[in-house]
Amino acid sequence: MRAPKGDGYGTIMLAMFERLGVTPPLSVCAMSEATLAGSQANIPAVIREVDERHHPDMIVITRSATAAVLQEPLDGEISMMPDKVNAEIFLAGAHPLRDTEVSAFALTLKEIVAHYAQDVERSPKPSVNIVGPSLLGFHDHANVTSLRKMFAALDIEVNAVVPLGATVDELRTLGRAWANVSTAHELTAPLFAYMQARYGTPSVHALPYGEAGTTAFLRELCALLEIPADRIKLAARDAKLLWYARTVDAHALSGKRVGVFGTPTTAAGIARVLHDELDMKIDFVGTYVLPYGDWLRERVADLTSDVIVTDDYRVIAKRIDESRPDIMFGSQMERHSASAFGVPCAVISPPAHILNFPLGYSPFIGYDGANHIGDVVNQTQVLGLEHHLIETFGPRDQGLAQAMPEGKDAPSVHDVPALATHSASGAVAVAEQILTWDQSAEKLVARIPFFVRKKARANIEKYAREKSIAVIDERTVLAAREHVGG
Amino acid sequence: MFEPVADAIERDDFCSLAPIGWLHHKMQDSFFLVVGTHSCQGFLQTALGVMIFAKPRFATAVLDEDDLSGRDALEGLLPIVEAIVAEHKPGAIFLASTCTPEILKMNITGCAPPLEEKFGVRVYPCRLDGFDPSYTQGEDHVLEAMIARAPETSEKNLVILGCLSALEEAEVRLECETMDLPVPRFLPNESALDLPPIGPNTVLAAVHPYLFGSVAYAARERGCAIHKTIFPYGPDGSRAFYEGLAAAFGKTVSYEAREREAWGACEREVEAIRGRSVAFISDAMLELPIARTLRAAGATVPLVGTPNIYKKFHALELARLEGVDVIERPDRFAMYARLSEHKPDLVVANLNIANALEGMGFSVKWSTELSFQPIHGFNGAPSLFGLFAASLRRHDALAKIRGKTQTEAAPIDLDFFRFDGAPLSLRAPHALREAPQPSSPLPDPTGATSAALAPSPSHEVRH
Repeated sequence: MRAPKGDGYGTIMLAMFERLGVTPPLSVCAMSEATLAGSQANIPAVIREVDERHHPDMIVITRSATAAVLQEPLDGEISMMPDKVNAEIFLAGAHPLRDTEVSAFALTLKEIVAHYAQDVERSPKPSVNIVGPSLLGFHDHANVTSLRKMFAALDIEVNAVVPLGATVDELRTLGRAWANVSTAHELTAPLFAYMQARYGTPSVHALPYGEAGTTAFLRELCALLEIPADRIKLAARDAKLLWYARTVDAHALSGKRVGVFGTPTTAAGIARVLHDELDMKIDFVGTYVLPYGDWLRERVADLTSDVIVTDDYRVIAKRIDESRPDIMFGSQMERHSASAFGVPCAVISPPAHILNFPLGYSPFIGYDGANHIGDVVNQTQVLGLEHHLIETFGPRDQGLAQAMPEGKDAPSVHDVPALATHSASGAVAVAEQILTWDQSAEKLVARIPFFVRKKARANIEKYAREKSIAVIDERTVLAAREHVGG
Repeated sequence: MFEPVADAIERDDFCSLAPIGWLHHKMQDSFFLVVGTHSCQGFLQTALGVMIFAKPRFATAVLDEDDLSGRDALEGLLPIVEAIVAEHKPGAIFLASTCTPEILKMNITGCAPPLEEKFGVRVYPCRLDGFDPSYTQGEDHVLEAMIARAPETSEKNLVILGCLSALEEAEVRLECETMDLPVPRFLPNESALDLPPIGPNTVLAAVHPYLFGSVAYAARERGCAIHKTIFPYGPDGSRAFYEGLAAAFGKTVSYEAREREAWGACEREVEAIRGRSVAFISDAMLELPIARTLRAAGATVPLVGTPNIYKKFHALELARLEGVDVIERPDRFAMYARLSEHKPDLVVANLNIANALEGMGFSVKWSTELSFQPIHGFNGAPSLFGLFAASLRRHDALAKIRGKTQTEAAPIDLDFFRFDGAPLSLRAPHALREAPQPSSPLPDPTGATSAALAPSPSHEVRH
């Protein structure tokens, strides 16, 4: 990537979220002050290094918005590369200012496939391509496993998974597959249109969300592949969502109002599960992928007419505040917004944080995904940990000083006698003594983040008792921090 | 100040927007408005939006193609600032220019006065871009913008420069009280409007080694005296810092006993560090003083990579790192090679390569934590050493259990994401795949070349 180094934060996400134990396969040819002064990009040096260090079959070169603004002729530089490198070099066409992360993904995926695609024979056995999953995708690794499990039960061959883990050889032979299935419509639509035109490859229209939804998805796929649908029940052996919905535990879900916001695919898929399979009430549905607003409207037309298409998270925050749904289903941004209003929120869509890169197997699509969605609903409703914390401690951003006004430090004032009682069991004279906190010490300790404050107070008092200090002042607080910790 | 170098490669990193995380937390009435691209917005949302209790007091004004074709920057900012003022009622807005406005030569600074006048709210223009050597320098630019607005004075006063926690500030305040020095003023404060007076008789003491620009600016514009000691990290640094403060006000104070006491308080943590080796490949510009105090604590430090060295500003720290291989603007792969020579017990590294280094078999402490933990002063010293001690103890403890199991998974590499072959196995179980060899850049560990002789890519500077 040609970019200022800060735009390379994607490598940090890649390394952290995917827990890569190798140097992430993304290099930044950093722009510097020298670039501003007219110095040329050193793209060939970076390409050579990437070729040597990572041994890729293909190096995709892209620019960040800042580099696009500078209008450097990258293609010229690349074409003049004197040394031969082993990797094929591909200049991505996505425009960093016009394209979003979604449209850039969709376009680049199509371009790369078109670059490699060859005319090939259809596979002897019915087969599919699983298209859409990627590194940093939303539960994508598990989603692919979920799909593969089902396809194995149906005796459907997986021709390729693209782009997650795909090799260039697999890209050349995507045309072998009898049909395409997508994990995210907005990421695969241009590629599917290309493959329909070039190979006549059909794709499945239904979204594999929920138990009933997955069954519909597999029926459609079986029809496309001209294979009997009776094996679907083998694939559905572990499906529990519809049974869960009948159990007493889930009865309370009826009529619960939910808001759903995410990518068009996750929003449409999840809204349908919540409505059709769990009998929840859809308050609103929305997406931030603006070009797919109409697609989403059509998909959820029978669930709600209230479809919000916006890429401004504040619009959704305002809506959550106004509607106060019982549960919000959204991206990481909605999780923040909802927590400010005490609305429990489940993250069902990117953008996501590391919580959505679990170690365990938790797909969102297929029958296993349906089970997981049931768990998510259940856990969000029952636990709502953040809701509980905010209720107990108050919002942090109001400033700790405001949250804990001087002299009204209610929770910690109550802590003091309790601690004194506990430590009095040792019957040591100083332990009996009620410690006094002077105002400056109270003020200082109020600045300690609330989640460690109680422990810090206990440590400070322990220290004061050890040192026979009756009145705790600022110096006691600091000395205790140094000697006891906390 | 800026020495042009060839474009370094493999320099993906946080940019100077990162300090918004701790600065907006410190200045409770601040709002950071970033003028930038979708990348800036994505970074802020990803890296800073995760503070779960925060109603974010930062936002991005995303540039579109109208801005590129020369739309007046102010015109685009007016409705945004109006909305921010209405919703957040900030005491002050930091109007941050980023890489793209710099390239477009948009006059963001010039937007500050009219915005300030129209909305009656203080607007500090500052540059938070990815051209700085270290992400921590975002704080440097913010403080420079605030110094520009600080009232002038001819009084002899003391200003402590750099974002500190309330506990760290309290220590400085109490030590000044003990030494009978003027009550120190801090920058930044809880309020972005609370600016200490700065003038020719001000003693300005920076507590972070990355505040080169704001210190130079204050010296140039206000003629204040710059407090020059090593930085107040660890008992040794704290002692030098306070003794130096006393000297700046014509007093001789010995902190010898205090330093001894502080080392005593650190013993539990230092015990875990003594005799161990720690190398830095990090990017916070905190490497020099922290390496120095780790050495004072009895650790060995064979190798320090740091993004930038300001020779005069860092001279005292550098002088205490004799025998250490100090490399400015290190090349990542050259550093991998040096690490495999030195085989340190702990490597301090940025988040982008921390996991990769673990994958190569090193024990890693992530570096970003050093930027926002309260580790200054005598009081913070146990916490500072505690970060390293905890990391070493954890690695030692886990190494024991790893030695007893045969099921440990190999590090996740790109093959992990291949779904190859047999339909029901879905893919080879991770633990059974062949563990990857340490990546190719690692030279033969028995190789005879000493690290000091390892080839140095041209953009590196060795000190």
